Amino acid sequence: MKRILAGVTAAGAALGFGAAMAQHPVDGGIEMIEAISPVAAEVHFFHNIVLLPVIIGISLLVLALLVWVMVRYSAKANPVPRKFSHNTLVEIIWTGVPILILVYIALFSFDLLFKEDTIPDGKQVVAQADGSTSAFVFANDFPDSRKVSRPEQVQVFLASGAGEKRLSYRSDYKLSGLGKPEVTVTLNTAPASGERVIIRGGRSLVGVAPFFGAGEDNREIALAPTMTLKVIGFQWGWTYTYPDFGDFEFTASPLEKEQTTPEQYLFETDNHVVVPVGETIRVTTTARDVIHSWAMPNFAIKIDAVPGRINETWFKAEREGTYYGQCSEICGIKHAYMPITIDVVSRPAFEAWVDSQRAMAGLEPMFGQSNVKFAQASVETE
Amino acid sequence: MAKGHAEHADHAHGHGHEHDHTPPFFVRWFWSTNHKDIGTLYLIFAIFAGLFGGALSGLMRAELAEPGVTVLTMFVDKSLAGQAQLDAARNFFNVLITYHGLIMIFFLVMPALIGGFGNWFVPIMIGAPDMAFPRMNNISFWLYVAAGGLATLSLFAAGAPGQHGFAGGWVLYPPLSSLTGHPGPAMDLLILSLHLAGASSILGAINFITTIFNMRAPGMTLHKMPLFVWSVLVTAFLLVLSLPVLAGGITMLLTDRNFGTSFFNPEGGGDPILFQHLFWFFGHPEVYILILPAFGVISHIVATFSKKPIFGYLGMAYAMVAIGFVGFIVWAHHMYTVGLSLNMKAYFVAATMVIAVPTGIKIFSWIATMWGGSIEFKTPMLWAIGFIFLFTVGGVTGVVLANAGIDHYLHDTYYVVAHFHYTMSLGAVWGIFAAWYYWFPKMFGKMYREWLGNLHFFLMFIGVNLVFFPQHFLGLQGMPRRYIDYPEAFAYWNYISSIGYVIMLVGLVSFAVCMFDAFFIYRRKAPANPWGEGATTLEWTLPSPPPFHQFNELPRFDKGDAKAFH
Repeated sequence: MKRILAGVTAAGAALGFGAAMAQHPVDGGIEMIEAISPVAAEVHFFHNIVLLPVIIGISLLVLALLVWVMVRYSAKANPVPRKFSHNTLVEIIWTGVPILILVYIALFSFDLLFKEDTIPDGKQVVAQADGSTSAFVFANDFPDSRKVSRPEQVQVFLASGAGEKRLSYRSDYKLSGLGKPEVTVTLNTAPASGERVIIRGGRSLVGVAPFFGAGEDNREIALAPTMTLKVIGFQWGWTYTYPDFGDFEFTASPLEKEQTTPEQYLFETDNHVVVPVGETIRVTTTARDVIHSWAMPNFAIKIDAVPGRINETWFKAEREGTYYGQCSEICGIKHAYMPITIDVVSRPAFEAWVDSQRAMAGLEPMFGQSNVKFAQASVETE
Repeated sequence: MAKGHAEHADHAHGHGHEHDHTPPFFVRWFWSTNHKDIGTLYLIFAIFAGLFGGALSGLMRAELAEPGVTVLTMFVDKSLAGQAQLDAARNFFNVLITYHGLIMIFFLVMPALIGGFGNWFVPIMIGAPDMAFPRMNNISFWLYVAAGGLATLSLFAAGAPGQHGFAGGWVLYPPLSSLTGHPGPAMDLLILSLHLAGASSILGAINFITTIFNMRAPGMTLHKMPLFVWSVLVTAFLLVLSLPVLAGGITMLLTDRNFGTSFFNPEGGGDPILFQHLFWFFGHPEVYILILPAFGVISHIVATFSKKPIFGYLGMAYAMVAIGFVGFIVWAHHMYTVGLSLNMKAYFVAATMVIAVPTGIKIFSWIATMWGGSIEFKTPMLWAIGFIFLFTVGGVTGVVLANAGIDHYLHDTYYVVAHFHYTMSLGAVWGIFAAWYYWFPKMFGKMYREWLGNLHFFLMFIGVNLVFFPQHFLGLQGMPRRYIDYPEAFAYWNYISSIGYVIMLVGLVSFAVCMFDAFFIYRRKAPANPWGEGATTLEWTLPSPPPFHQFNELPRFDKGDAKAFH
């Protein structure tokens, strides 16, 4: 009984407006778990704002119509049935209106799908301001189909000691050369010496856009991946490889019941995947024996690991923390016992972790004291 | 129409006795060529298969009621200890999900709706004395029994290393179903079982197509055919076109397993994904094979108890044709996570969403049929109304899952389980119960107590909704399907779901009581037409139960009051 009460409370909290979404599944929860990547935020938006009202509305409409005909046209209320069997107008309506609803859904659906399945190729250029220059060049060297050609495909930030500020198109800067090999960003006022101008460009615009003019524009240009995580499924566990950092490899197995808390049992693994926060991570999957599926609900990704094939997806985690997923394709006896744990950490913590892993694999430190940053998407220019 | 057929009914009454010489027991039930007897055999087969498949799901819900592996360890080899016992229990769970799916699809819904009610009522509804190929009808049924036998055998054969039965899910994906995952003969037996079931269904489908095209009563054009006959006709075409593809796929799997081919074996240059394409090219039409006959049944029941002709007959018939056609070009929406190209996913999203349109036409046409009617809430009508609402709920979650962008989150979670049980369990099985209560008086010549039928309906309605609705929440929370054990965070809704199963079980007991009562206690003889003016199709012109051979003189629709049955 206590459990039921707890569940009802949790369900109520989840239904309540403003209730914080859970980062991990909660007992009695009824909604998607928290979105930690811009694409996951879009998935949530698509489900909660676009689809849910439609499907609940249709279900309630059908229910209301059924209740109405049951009350109004019961044998008691209406002893003599009418005999009509055609009405061209309503037939056109109930064919046409669903088509319009589907078109409305499709508008969002295709947009989301294309973002999920296109590895970002955004590029960032950082220029040091000298106090007088106000025009900065962004090399638009993408393939023709991916060239920056619209104002929203360029985002400009001004960074100083005080932090980073997003500039707005027209009121702060102008663009010329969109669609051409060189895009020039001209700031309305030349930034002060010592400030840095950060220009991001690319077609990989992800994040929730305003909904019919309402809401904030959370779209950002996702940069090209800074690293690849290679995932290999096997009966029963996952092997992870970091090809950009010397191909070190480790295997993640679930913790036994005694080794962990009841809440984390079947979520927690002995070794965690570690990735840097705020960077685009390419994930490739394959399998050694049977098909497995690598899933991470917080990032809204799920990609099968198929022997003989390499699949690819990507994510960009926006907040540090530990996130859990579980194998999502039946793979035999211990299908339920191959969880996935990811630690999203800061860049320095990630580099330290990489070096510790390299040390275990007998490799020289890659980062150590040196300031060389490998695999950074930023290109420094004068 | 009513007048002409009333005369015919008298005719059947008048001559029933002299024609009703039934063969002796063994000849009648084992060498049967009579479509009604074969229909009854199919129904009996389906009832036993359904009880078995339902018992499997009971074990699953018992195990899943609480986190941890607590129940299934009691059902495995007692001599095993510790880890071995746990592994046997885990394997057993996967066996349960696999055979539950296969049995409910191949051995409950298909034999009940197509073999059972299709055999019983398609010939009668088109005014034919029997099916076109009565002996083929017989072999169709007995192949099904053989298929059931092989499937049962495979439960006890060696499967995964050291385990029994095939435990790889009803979708049979290699390499889990190839020698890599299941070296034992359980999978081979299962393949042969599916071959026989498929051959049986193809023979049955050919029989239906031939019967419907050639043996309609004079004057009954296709556009005057009752909608149940339309639904079986479309279903038969789906069977004939899709099952050979499954047969091809599992034959390739069989040769991969036994003769060293590499169709699906990556080491030999094969591709496991090829099997998934072949499987779902069959598998998706299969779900319409399961639901279309139920659509047909619901149309009859809604029209009968609203005392009104079905609304938009042509739209209803061609909506089924459209669903059948589009059903063949959407298969890869089951495979959004396997690594399809972006453009391919985009196509399958678009094609899949199209199906919502004809399905919507059907839902709204049923409501429009009730609109303006004079509705009697007899037991079959309750099931039909329940079907319309529950199928709508299952349909709208289908629209959600059709979007690949969201499927990357929901694929293979409990959301999918909830979705397909709303369409199949609360859809197709609902259709079976509706049909059973609708035609029970006709088939067995006995009435049942209304209140017992009502009780069955309400218990089942509450029970199955409690089983499956919370599973949407589990899916949204991210719980993957086919899991014997789960983290604490999923405990609450799993517990509720298992409570729902118990309520549903009580509902099934009330069904058994209702039937026992109807046959042995109530024993009220059914009139030729117990449902009144709304029941206009030909079966209601015959006595209940119909004579062993009906329509010695064919009903005619080509002269006089030639009105269609809708």
